[in-house]
Amino acid sequence: MSGPASSARRGAARSTATGFGRVLVTVYGILAFAALGRSSYELVAKFGEAPVAYALSALAAVVYVVATVALALGASPGWRRVAWVAVGVEAVGVLTVGTASLVSRDVFGESTVWSLFGQGYGYVPLVLPFVGLWWLWHTRGPAAHGDRGPDPSDGSEETTA
Amino acid sequence: MLLPLLILLVALCVALGGWAAWFVVKDRPVILNQLWGGAIVEGVLIAQAITAAIRSATHGPPSDPLLFWGYMATSLVILPVAAAWAFAERTKWSSVVLLVAALTVGFLNYRLWQIWTGV
Repeated sequence: MSGPASSARRGAARSTATGFGRVLVTVYGILAFAALGRSSYELVAKFGEAPVAYALSALAAVVYVVATVALALGASPGWRRVAWVAVGVEAVGVLTVGTASLVSRDVFGESTVWSLFGQGYGYVPLVLPFVGLWWLWHTRGPAAHGDRGPDPSDGSEETTA
Repeated sequence: MLLPLLILLVALCVALGGWAAWFVVKDRPVILNQLWGGAIVEGVLIAQAITAAIRSATHGPPSDPLLFWGYMATSLVILPVAAAWAFAERTKWSSVVLLVAALTVGFLNYRLWQIWTGV
């Protein structure tokens, strides 16, 4: 076990932004930036061509931005809840849009970030939400064990001391 | 954009990424010298952006200027932000952040070249 997170309160959930979370937020940030750039370009230059596809890309961009911010600030319960929702929407979105685009290539008129499960982005959009959900679950507070200190092995050490 | 600058840039990104990957293996966080390495990459990026701007002004814009400059802006922003974000973490995960950032910048510039040359 690595060192305990520096939570302000005992037994609180760990921050989602430290350790492996640093990498996760980085990948989310890059994808958020890429999706935001793509979406503003589509909305400005050619929204009329495929409104549904470009609206979906815009939704994806917003979800990525919210997920990035929430995970980066994920030390508080409020932001953690926001992160759960954003990453959950992201997972549903990539699975729904991915499946729909697989069934009918031109269902949305144009490709979106989530088309073909994010093929255009090296399938990162498909993997990321599930890594995100795992990470949120992994860093949750030890609710089932009540208010314990950072080292649960305290008790067993006493017999040998 | 100039091809020699692109080759230099991709080589530097791979080198920086390799350096970061070595640190991941060694379980070490990002060090200041690696941030200087990132600054060198950023300098070449800016030089490339300037050549692209001059070339656009004199010979006409790339085939899809909005897309091109969007990518260019992204590639310019990634390293400074990632460097600050990585440096605040003092575990090996900061080295993974630098690795991801370096590879992304390298790949983005390959894509930029594709857009620039109209592939």
